[in-house]
Amino acid sequence: MNLRASLAPLAFLLACTRAPSSNETVLTFSGSALGAEGTLVARQLKRFMQLNPGIRVELQRTPDDASQRHQLYVQWLNARVGNPSILQLDVVWTPEFAAAGWVLPLDKYGPEKSKFFPATITANTWAGQLYALPWFADVGLLYRRTDLVPNEPSSLEEIVADARREMARGGGPRYGIVFQGARYEGLITGFVEYLGAFGARIIDDSGNVVVNRPEAVRALEFMRDELYDSKVAPLEVLTWHEEEARFAFQNGNAVFMRNWPYPVAAMSDTAQSPVAGKFAVSPIPKSATAPNGHSTAALGGAQLAINAYTDHPAAAYKLIAYLTAPEQMLERAQAVGQYPTRFGLYTDPRLASAISIPMESARRAIESATPRPVTPIYTELSEILQIELHRALVRQAEPRDALDAAAAKINALIERTGMRKLMRARVAPPPQPPDTNGHGE
Amino acid sequence: MRKISRLGSEARLGWTLVAPALAVIALIAIFPLGWTFWESLHLHELRMPWLGKPFIGVANYVEIAKDPRFWAALGHTAFFTVVSISLELLIGLFLALAMNRVFRGRGFVRAAVLVPWAIPTVVAALLWRFIFESQGGIVNALMIKAGFLDQPMVWFIEASTAWVPVILADVWKTTPFVALLLLAGLQNIDLSLYEAAAVDGANAWWQLRHITLPLLKPAILVTLIFRTLDGFRVFDLIYVLTGGGPGTSTEPVALYTFNALLQNLRFGYGSALSVVIFVITFALAMLYVRGLGVRLGGDES
Amino acid sequence: MKTVRTGSTRWGGWVFAGALILLMVFTLFPFYWAIVASFTSDAALFRDPSLWPQHLILDHYRALFIDRDFITPIRNSLIVAGTTTLFCLVVGTLAAYALARLEFRGKAPIMAFILAVTMFPQISIVSPLYLLLRSLHLIDTYPGLIMPYMTFAMPLTVWVLTGSIRQIPRDLEEAAHVDGASRRQSFTKILLPLAVPSLATTGILTFIYCWNEFLFALSFTLGPERQTVPVAIALFRGQYQVPWGEILAAAVIATAPVAAMVLVFQRRIVQGLTAGAVKG
Repeated sequence: MNLRASLAPLAFLLACTRAPSSNETVLTFSGSALGAEGTLVARQLKRFMQLNPGIRVELQRTPDDASQRHQLYVQWLNARVGNPSILQLDVVWTPEFAAAGWVLPLDKYGPEKSKFFPATITANTWAGQLYALPWFADVGLLYRRTDLVPNEPSSLEEIVADARREMARGGGPRYGIVFQGARYEGLITGFVEYLGAFGARIIDDSGNVVVNRPEAVRALEFMRDELYDSKVAPLEVLTWHEEEARFAFQNGNAVFMRNWPYPVAAMSDTAQSPVAGKFAVSPIPKSATAPNGHSTAALGGAQLAINAYTDHPAAAYKLIAYLTAPEQMLERAQAVGQYPTRFGLYTDPRLASAISIPMESARRAIESATPRPVTPIYTELSEILQIELHRALVRQAEPRDALDAAAAKINALIERTGMRKLMRARVAPPPQPPDTNGHGE
Repeated sequence: MRKISRLGSEARLGWTLVAPALAVIALIAIFPLGWTFWESLHLHELRMPWLGKPFIGVANYVEIAKDPRFWAALGHTAFFTVVSISLELLIGLFLALAMNRVFRGRGFVRAAVLVPWAIPTVVAALLWRFIFESQGGIVNALMIKAGFLDQPMVWFIEASTAWVPVILADVWKTTPFVALLLLAGLQNIDLSLYEAAAVDGANAWWQLRHITLPLLKPAILVTLIFRTLDGFRVFDLIYVLTGGGPGTSTEPVALYTFNALLQNLRFGYGSALSVVIFVITFALAMLYVRGLGVRLGGDES
Repeated sequence: MKTVRTGSTRWGGWVFAGALILLMVFTLFPFYWAIVASFTSDAALFRDPSLWPQHLILDHYRALFIDRDFITPIRNSLIVAGTTTLFCLVVGTLAAYALARLEFRGKAPIMAFILAVTMFPQISIVSPLYLLLRSLHLIDTYPGLIMPYMTFAMPLTVWVLTGSIRQIPRDLEEAAHVDGASRRQSFTKILLPLAVPSLATTGILTFIYCWNEFLFALSFTLGPERQTVPVAIALFRGQYQVPWGEILAAAVIATAPVAAMVLVFQRRIVQGLTAGAVKG
């Protein structure tokens, strides 16, 4: 057993069993201890402790799997447990936790809101207050085989055409495009991108449900046609999560893939990846047939929030401010390739070598990113939508009917929970076009 | 019979001996069960604490009765339970009879048979997912080789075919459990009965129907009860294999309850769902007891 | 050791053997495949899964013990499962004896009550159980797992043992009583040895139940010092990544103690009644 492994549990045990001495503040940080990320977190926490002698931070291992982590958080916060002091929230949890009173509003600590991408701040704002700091961003991206499709496609229709062409070629890949189509949250993230491409949304700025408008129906029809009409997407995708899609592309069986940034590292490894050096990443384009369509990406990532039951909120804020400071974000990009949420870093040359797609592409993607509806009832809303979308995609229902059913149920949900007023009061700004800092394309 | 001991002291001894078991249960289970009942009578939405926690009586239960997704989930659960149990009883009985016989390699069979049950459910579910994957799954590969299929079938996107891996995985995993329970019952059957029947010229089939099965009734009862309980609470297996999909076609009640409680944070409604599951399983258990003619409190002949 | 030989003809014997072999293949195939896969790299698994090992690697097993310290969860699981099984057998046997051999009112309600606690879905009781254990300061401790496990494993023990003991004829105990033995002596010297097969069976079932239990273990432990094998395996997962090779390697390793235990106990399971003692 190596030294670190034996020290960590010991340290944690000490943290659990000893009451903190009167001049020492103990914080617990919810995180993983796995691999490169674990090493990075330990390193950053250690530096923080050196800079803040009166504060000790212990790592409390929580599952990386979002669903399991959510379950544990709910259990602990419902019991008003103050540990972990800092929570790692998935991007759609912030309004839920804020409404439940489980995380503290941060505005009084003066966070630098204007330095982060607007979409990430919107996603973490509820009832006019900021409840979590964006830690790193995940965005949906289009992966393509550069040996088959050298140029970045400018529209969804072009993707389908390219895919068909390559699939028809003798010896071409068996799939055109692969994505996450199983009945889970990943399906919504993909759907949001098709929605944006056709100029549609789930909920508009006034809190109205617009997911059954004609543009949205067209988006869903387009998805379905990829499966049954042009057949560029295999039926299997309807059972796939991120990893299955990744392996399909990595093993050279697909022309295009929609996925988060995480596969880039593994797929660039020549030892295990047949497509190393033969792929490129770009933002997902809009549809050429929709007048209001725009290129967009689903916004994912993690945020850091303060447990409302902690005894040391001020110290906790110091820690999350530290972890979301530019230097730490850059270090994280270099160590594990996760995208910073501060747009200022995207002109820093050190970032270029850290993330394996061009900085410009990354910045464009995050800037055009769409948060999913920012509401405490998001999980229920998402579930309704997942079910109806999946029904349409397995041809148990027509897209129009499925989306009408979804809209009706979502409206009923909003009425039942009295969310309408709250959703109207808080307007979510639409995705901004590329920023005017001289590097726009 | 024991004519000597007075009823009083026997009762006292009886209660003393069951006391530890009851104490453990009372200490650990009473509070959670009571809490769940209590919660089911309130509106408790964790995401909206400003609504408070008002007492709403049976309103949650009324909502359940009107909820089509609940009834669908109940149907799925019943279907899954019935099919799985039937298969498990059949195969389990065969296995139990087999493990009861003398033959070479018996020790190996007994150990091997328990392996599926020793694997964590989540891992078993992942294994069976792999086996039924469309591209590269072994089942498709074998079926294509044998000529049953032209091209790989995507098992998980049709409700009817999605049940196949689910039920197979459950049968694979829990038949050992059933086999062991039935074996425990087989052990207690008096061998002289078989010898007497053999002497009278009865063949194996007759012995099975008239000696083994009737005397196995208590063991079958225990098996039915516990497997029904497990069937109605099935969660991990389906969560990993299909996630309740396609759509919600394979969603069991426990998964629906999980969504209500821990995803949507509707503690009142979720607790009411739990109580409903409890009532149904309890009713089923009592039905088995009646149906099999086993008296809980006394001896059977 | 007597077992039944129920009128086997040669033809019946072949059918029996054939069915058994088929069953063995069905039972062991996924496990065989898991072993093969645990020695294969993840990428190769998705690319071209095959029945015969192609290119074997030890990486997953190495990662398991070096990077992830898999010994600790195994230790925890052994302690929790072993203790729970022991307590269940002791407490359960006492209760089963009372329910099977003694006459007193309330037996049926007791059995129904013991059973009732297992009728709630685990998910429903996790939250209140957590609240309760926390108030008793039992979170992240061994008793904090053993006690809930006992509560939900004991019904099986009680029900199976009650049924088994009822089926053991009273003749021997009565004979002993006539000879002047006390109740305790007839229990320990006569009944208990006869009940050993059932005890072994329920012991194994309880042990495996505790070994595989996930939800309570996840919810009532906080850190690696007390987490059990299923929880450790679940924590291998990244946010999107599922490290197949390591998960399967862990499953293979985790199955080994159980398989070993079964091999040791399997002789006990099928010890039958000795014919001589029953007759007469």
